[in-house]
Amino acid sequence: MYAIAIHGGAGAVPRAMLSALREQRYRAGLEAALDAGFALLARGGSSLDAVSAAVRILEDDPSFNAGHGAALTRDGAAELDAAIMDGRQLRAGAVASVRHVKNPIELARRVMEKSRHVLLVGAGAEEFALEESFVLVPNHYFRTAERQEQLECEQRGERVSDLIPGAQGTVGAVALDGEGNLAAATSTGGMTNKRPGRVGDSPIIGAGTYAKNGVCAVSATGHGEYFIRAVAAHHVCAAVEYRGLDLQQAVREVLHEILGGLGGDGGLIAVGGDGQIVMDFSTEGMFRGARDSGGRREIAI
Amino acid sequence: MSRPKLLALLCLAVVCAPARAVEPPPLAIAIHGGAGVIDPAKMTPQHAASYRAGLAAALDAGYAILEHGGSSLDAVTAAVRIMEDDPQFNAGRGAVLNHDGDAELDAAIMDGHGPRAGAVAGVRRVRNPIELARLVMEKSPHVLLVAEGAEEFALEQGVALVPREYFRTEARVRELEEARRQAGELKAAAPGPTGTVGAVALDGAGHLAAATSTGGLTDKHRGRVGDSPIVGAGTYADDDSCAVSGTGQGEFFIRQVVAFDICALVLYRHLTLAQAVHEVIRKLRHTGGEGGVIAVDRAGNIAMDFNSVGMFRGARDSRGRRDIAMYRDAQ
Repeated sequence: MYAIAIHGGAGAVPRAMLSALREQRYRAGLEAALDAGFALLARGGSSLDAVSAAVRILEDDPSFNAGHGAALTRDGAAELDAAIMDGRQLRAGAVASVRHVKNPIELARRVMEKSRHVLLVGAGAEEFALEESFVLVPNHYFRTAERQEQLECEQRGERVSDLIPGAQGTVGAVALDGEGNLAAATSTGGMTNKRPGRVGDSPIIGAGTYAKNGVCAVSATGHGEYFIRAVAAHHVCAAVEYRGLDLQQAVREVLHEILGGLGGDGGLIAVGGDGQIVMDFSTEGMFRGARDSGGRREIAI
Repeated sequence: MSRPKLLALLCLAVVCAPARAVEPPPLAIAIHGGAGVIDPAKMTPQHAASYRAGLAAALDAGYAILEHGGSSLDAVTAAVRIMEDDPQFNAGRGAVLNHDGDAELDAAIMDGHGPRAGAVAGVRRVRNPIELARLVMEKSPHVLLVAEGAEEFALEQGVALVPREYFRTEARVRELEEARRQAGELKAAAPGPTGTVGAVALDGAGHLAAATSTGGLTDKHRGRVGDSPIVGAGTYADDDSCAVSGTGQGEFFIRQVVAFDICALVLYRHLTLAQAVHEVIRKLRHTGGEGGVIAVDRAGNIAMDFNSVGMFRGARDSRGRRDIAMYRDAQ
């Protein structure tokens, strides 16, 4: 049994306002990421490679709020966060507030595999990238006309929810491979018009990203501050492991009761040790996709 | 049950209630000044006395706040602030230096009532990182601010920045030189756990709070962030379960979400606080991680455990307990 699920952010995306053309674009982007990750699993690849590949594709796709096309800070720059976790030995790597790394998820993976650390931030993370022979890119690589427009709207105090998955968008993937290993990955540009240096839940192990073999792998999207306080991703795994809840119940409870109780909204994708996929959200929509070796394949918004 | 009997019972409950309310609610605070800091063989009596005095000052200042009806949030802030200002501990002034010779500071605070949290990481010019973490919690919509952005927020909040030189002490400069020399000799050496400071408390209103502050690891890579400012890893508090502050090899604490895991075991497995702490420290040892935690629950029970050589720690509560210890034998 192997399975993968991805998300491209949750938020208020009124169906009626999502033009057919745009919807087509998102679906195509989700499909490309889902199928690339799934193809790796089908060839016997690891869940770690599958989630890295899926997230990398979403980072490169300007429709989603991560990598190229990330939301902009109040200073008009992109500041990126990402994390990856390997459920096998609870290894993890994360970066926050990087401005010149094309694929933050790859740097997060490098932190996990080539450093003694889990989290590197800011200029120090970029220094590590250079030490690891990453080529840095100028910050304008990430900026797109749509994000610029979105930032200006936000700064004028207008709501811009219909533009593109933005204000609370994030991308992520969770997977189970044929050897029973779980992995999770999340990458984001954070909130539009955010204060420089603000870090959300995505790169925080336990909050936006978590994986533990035999229990579950989780990636979150939504209002990051609430997900940090609720330790959302690990909370789902704790509810499964310590209370014996079914993965679906655990996700529902964390999302609707714990996060809902705090006043936070968003979405979670999770895969269990048995390959069960759960995708749930408390917002109007969540860009998502799931595929498994049992023949399931779906993309939804 | 018949109606008169029920009424009689209700009356009894009403009569009994004030009697129970007379008993004051429990107060408790625990602090740590780092795990595995100093080899007992190298600890001179003067050093030991000096560390004890530093711990006692922080412990008693925090407890005095609780005793005067103050909040657990104020108590942990005060205790951590005192240890940040004390150059013996690895936080604030006297923090260890990174590879570039700078102190790079991380701190987090969490209020179990809400719960809400604030944290900063990678700041280099903020005298009391714990106070900035608290401002992030109270004056911003965010939880975590890092590096220059966090310092920008400090300035916006009227917090004066200090030169980087303020944090550097002669002892830490020597430690860095030693670490660099050793790094040349044995490249694969894993970093030993270093001191970090933290506090957890329960106040008279039944609210729990936790706070942690650190300079991280000597000779660390610029930008490296450990568990201290990570909510759930090095710091966590929830009025429904417990408050925890950790110290040790941060990367292991992050991967195991140590602080939250203890509270999850209390809440979901109904373990006692001591059992939960013991279990998580056992898991930590199993994965090769070294360190310790202090924790307090809503009943005022304090648990302090570690798998390193020692942990500088102190505990005080309204039942008369007051102790300060450094090594396993409670000395």
